[in-house]
Amino acid sequence: MNGALGYTGVLLGFCAAVVGIVVIATGLVRHRESTLRGGQLYAPLILLGGLVAVVAMEHALLTHDFSLTYVADNNSRSTPALYSITGLWSALAGSILLWAVILGGYASIMAWRFRRRASDPLVGWATLVIYVVAAFFFGLMLGPANPFSHVVGAVPHNGLGPNTLLQDNPLVLIHPPMLYLGFVGFTLPFAFAIATLATGRVDEDWQGETRRWTLFAWAFLTMGIILGAWWSYEVLGWGGFWSWDPVENAALMPWLVGTAYLHSVMVQERRGLLRIWNLSLVVAAFSLTILGTFLTRSGVIQSVHSFSESTIGPLLLGFFCVVLVTGVGLIAWRGDRLRSAGGIDAAVSREGAFLVNNLLFVAFAFVVLLGTVFPLLYQALNGDELSVGAPYFNRFFVPVGLGLLFLMAVAPALPWRKASLEVVRSRLTVPAAAGVVVVVACVAAGVRGVEPLAAFGLGAFAGASALRALFLSVRAAWQLARRGGAGPVRALLSGWRGLVGRANGGMVVHVGVVVVAVGLAAATSFIHRGELLLRPGQTATYYGHDVTFVGQRTVTTPSHTALEAVLRVDHGTFSPAISQFDGNSQAVGTPAIDSSWRGDLYLTIDSIPGKGSRWTFGVVEQPLVMWLWIGAGLVAFGSVLAAVPGRRRRPTDPISTPVVGASPATRDDGAEAGTAAATNGDGTQHPAPAPLEPVAVGPRGTDSDGP
Amino acid sequence: MSTTLRGAADPMARRAADGDRKRRRFPWWTLFGVVAVIALVIGSGVLGSSAPTAGQRALAIETDIRCPSCEDLSVAQSSAPTAVAVRATVQRQIAEGRSDQQIESYLESRYGASIELDPPASGWTLLVWLVPLLAGVGGLAVVTTVLIRRHVTVLDEAAAGDVGSIGSVSDDAELPTDPDRLADRRAFLVRSLSDADAEYLAGDLSDRDYLALRRRDMKRLAALDAHGSSALPGPETPAVLSAAGPAVATASAVTSSAVTAATAATAATVTSAATAERPRRGRRSWWFLAGAVAAFTVALVVAVTQFSSNRLPGQTPTGSVSLSPSQQTEETLAQAASDEDQGQVEQAASLYQDVLDQHPANEVALAQLGWIEFETGHSTGDRSLLADARAKLDRAVKLDPQDYAARLYLGTVLLQQNGDASAAVAQFALFHADGPPAALVSQAAPVIRQAYTAAGDPVPAWLPANS
Amino acid sequence: MTMTEDRPSGTRARHPVRWIATVALVVVAGLVAVLATRPPASVAEVDSPLLGNLAPTLSGTTLSGSPFVLPSRPGHYVVVNFFASWCEPCRQEGPQLVRFAFEHSRTNDAQLVSVVFDDTDSSASAYQAQLGATWPTLRADGALALSYGVRAPPTTFVIAPDGRLAAEVIAPVTASDLDQVIATVKARRP
Repeated sequence: MNGALGYTGVLLGFCAAVVGIVVIATGLVRHRESTLRGGQLYAPLILLGGLVAVVAMEHALLTHDFSLTYVADNNSRSTPALYSITGLWSALAGSILLWAVILGGYASIMAWRFRRRASDPLVGWATLVIYVVAAFFFGLMLGPANPFSHVVGAVPHNGLGPNTLLQDNPLVLIHPPMLYLGFVGFTLPFAFAIATLATGRVDEDWQGETRRWTLFAWAFLTMGIILGAWWSYEVLGWGGFWSWDPVENAALMPWLVGTAYLHSVMVQERRGLLRIWNLSLVVAAFSLTILGTFLTRSGVIQSVHSFSESTIGPLLLGFFCVVLVTGVGLIAWRGDRLRSAGGIDAAVSREGAFLVNNLLFVAFAFVVLLGTVFPLLYQALNGDELSVGAPYFNRFFVPVGLGLLFLMAVAPALPWRKASLEVVRSRLTVPAAAGVVVVVACVAAGVRGVEPLAAFGLGAFAGASALRALFLSVRAAWQLARRGGAGPVRALLSGWRGLVGRANGGMVVHVGVVVVAVGLAAATSFIHRGELLLRPGQTATYYGHDVTFVGQRTVTTPSHTALEAVLRVDHGTFSPAISQFDGNSQAVGTPAIDSSWRGDLYLTIDSIPGKGSRWTFGVVEQPLVMWLWIGAGLVAFGSVLAAVPGRRRRPTDPISTPVVGASPATRDDGAEAGTAAATNGDGTQHPAPAPLEPVAVGPRGTDSDGP
Repeated sequence: MSTTLRGAADPMARRAADGDRKRRRFPWWTLFGVVAVIALVIGSGVLGSSAPTAGQRALAIETDIRCPSCEDLSVAQSSAPTAVAVRATVQRQIAEGRSDQQIESYLESRYGASIELDPPASGWTLLVWLVPLLAGVGGLAVVTTVLIRRHVTVLDEAAAGDVGSIGSVSDDAELPTDPDRLADRRAFLVRSLSDADAEYLAGDLSDRDYLALRRRDMKRLAALDAHGSSALPGPETPAVLSAAGPAVATASAVTSSAVTAATAATAATVTSAATAERPRRGRRSWWFLAGAVAAFTVALVVAVTQFSSNRLPGQTPTGSVSLSPSQQTEETLAQAASDEDQGQVEQAASLYQDVLDQHPANEVALAQLGWIEFETGHSTGDRSLLADARAKLDRAVKLDPQDYAARLYLGTVLLQQNGDASAAVAQFALFHADGPPAALVSQAAPVIRQAYTAAGDPVPAWLPANS
Repeated sequence: MTMTEDRPSGTRARHPVRWIATVALVVVAGLVAVLATRPPASVAEVDSPLLGNLAPTLSGTTLSGSPFVLPSRPGHYVVVNFFASWCEPCRQEGPQLVRFAFEHSRTNDAQLVSVVFDDTDSSASAYQAQLGATWPTLRADGALALSYGVRAPPTTFVIAPDGRLAAEVIAPVTASDLDQVIATVKARRP
């Protein structure tokens, strides 16, 4: 029953997508607005189909319905409810189902958001693209990746259970969904990019309209990647969080391009420049998500994450080709007519900084792609095997990362159009001082190593620059409230307005990124690995931590048996374990981590001797690991802040805080205020107060902070 | 129409004040640069760094070798048995004095080239290094060239003081003919102008830059209007900083000329003095900046590559303050072992004694020191030394029954000192059971054979035939 | 790049966007061609660098604790099989090894030695006992596995009578596979 219901849901989704394609195509060809509007109705149907299938699958997993192959392979009677639920996305076919239902959700939200403009052919084209993608993924489930296929022969009494590593930690509940929300989220900007190319209306601000989608997708993808790193750290037992695994790289590449896009689209909104860059970036981001899906699921690259190989590899590769050829082909067809009407005026300007930003991100994404597929290329050329691992990626990551930190520091202080060195210098003196002070302090404290020192210094520089921007923004909000007649306390409280909105949320995100960068630099540069051989009762010291092996104990639950070693570290108790899950004879190690804001001590059981001799414990000491997670939290918080709509702004609003009191009506203090502005250098994006409307009306008179 | 420029009330005074401020202004950035460079040089550890220790060498090699049974981890990171075995091999070969290259070749001869995580820079694999570098350098070159040319053009135009002449210098050779493109370009220029106004008002653009940009965009706008004035609808044009809010113009010709006039007016009030002096200095200072950036980039690249090859991953901060006791013990033992290999026995003995002073139960130090004492005692006939040696070896063996070195030493002592062949044989059997390396077995073969023969036991099969 | 509408005419290619797009498509086409023709990684064949050279010394301790050194029997082939009890494909090849051992104990021209890889003695002993293995099994030895370049079980080596490594199979072997290897080597050296 579950299988039939689920398959019906998949079929419903597929048919809705296909019919939707036909309807919208008809509407576009025949220029019929009513048809176009009708075509929007199919999005909720796709979502409905996906939901029905998800409900059916979850029901089958929770009731251990082993008549379905998928359940028999990924579930067992002793699997706890949590891991039955997560079984939906623990294997190939289910992950496609998750992708499809999330896509249905996004399609429905989009249809609702643009319901008033449904008759616009551009919206029609975008919906068409989304229906095509949905048809592809639902179509995969009808055939090669069918989650609802029935077991051949007798229904087994018990299933194989999920992969051991996937029932080890509750993080599996949020990591894949977050990741997929991010991947699938890039479909929308892509759809609109194709739509603008197809209709030729590239000068309208559709990128701005879909800006909030992109922000959400990016935020989810960032969280998904960080959660993956956290999982790798908490579960896998090797003490690290990023190993440049092909599957990790597959998630990183769209993230890099997506971050570039998120920044570069601001230049298009503000000045109308970098159009082709933005279109290319969004096409690349979506194509890379498909390529990443292919690499993960096709089995051509061996990875600790990869799903079992199946026949959907060629199909995914084919879809990747279709997507890329469509996107690049459209860009080439529209060609130079697409180009912005003007160019960047000066290298040292915010536009210039964003362009360099684009280049850095794209260059690094290219390096990651090359490193990931190079073993395959080499094998094709030479027949030999080759490994490309962390040393290669780190060689490029360090300079690119340092360059990005530098850009993060400088760019918020750069004016648009053209920057004069005086202005930039005056604004960045304090942040630069902060950076230098941090470097000197670290060197004095005994820290050695150019790369971590440079990272700390540039990180302090970037962090101080972002904090400066936030401070100025809050102060402007406060001043604004004062001018509006609020009392001192009320004005102070209304300073929160200086923290929300795209620019300010972005500064919070930058602070988060700086924290992550500092944590990363410290953890990778000053890591110590070792082994402790201890008998019960013995104590050893490792880099200032006292580790005592108290004893062992065995913990049994219905789903697994774990042998734990109880260790007392400094003043806390931690128990690394070796667990064995039913149905899987291979044991997995579970680490125990003593975390503090200063660093982590990571303990694993490496070997248990036969007789009562010494146990071998792996120990890893890494400073500032917790900063990674804290920084990630800040990034998430900043993204939320950035999504809050600020005051109504125009794209041509000044970068700086309006000089309070420098309205043209009061020209005398205009001089003073102008001078003050030049030396203090305000650098926030904030709405101009009424007396000082920017005098020009741009091509689009009003700006709405639409999604 | 009144023209206002920020601070136009007394531009000359303001400029003078600016100049004064500049002269008195503290050279913060120079200071920052100097301090940062000094700090980084000290912090790189290049001053006072010594040759890498055995532990550091081992870590450097281990980070580059893939764990054979894992997917992406290095043997330094993984605790799989294959990784443990590789680490043991690397450390042993370092102790035997082989070079990094020899050790990596040995591992490649067993596992194949894919055991290296770092693709070598030779043959086809050179591509994986070259392609990104070439792409990066190429992209940078293109961007820099285009941007330099742009910047110089802007300054040229400002210097030329060319107002209102159509079709002069550079880039406007390609005026679009397509009405959509014309409208697009016009809208862009209008928006850019208002943008520049707003930036200037807010204090982000300097006078010189503002005027240069404005002049150029005005000129282009005028050229555009002249080119396609018949085809265009009534546009919106920025009025110059009027207080009345958004200006609405009607006829393009009127506004163009008005705008042109305004520009001329502003030019007259402020620019003559400024532009006469500035462009030359501006261009010079720009080249200086470009040169400084290039030099900095080169220095950074050199520094990173240089220091990343000397500085090993996970290198502990120099200075004994930062070394943990266990790390220090490791270092001491390794140093003592290498001293022993080089024949500096007394030095090695004192180092082992240091270790034992701190960790009386360190079996490696016990066994090695016991052996040194035995050899010394044996040659000098010092009985107390010999007794001490025996005690140490006994203790070492008891502390770690699996230590093959201690067993070997004890067996040799039993044979040569006590003449107890059967006890020696027992020890040698245990020695073998502990899995000693073949090199050690062949080295010790004569003594072992002697023991077996003396005890009347058949020579074991695991002894190499020729010794 | 978009900033090229204003440039001195004639110094650069027209329609740079089309050129760049074409180049990008060509590169991607090459990448896709390579990706489409790759075999699954799990069955990728790779030649061990040890093939053709003298096989590393095979010595160690058996599961029962006695020292083991490969007895030198002239004219004999030696099949070395690295296995683990937790390895699913090893269970597949187990019965095949039994058959091989039985057949060649009669023809007396090949001997089989198993080596435990990353497993405990008890599990390995139980596994071998259950299989009915009659040939020597050596304890897990990291150094030995390293000298043979073993990454994961099951890995089987065939050593020719002259001591050189004739074949390495990184997959479950069948008795006929092994026989075929032996026959090939025999044919090459009369």
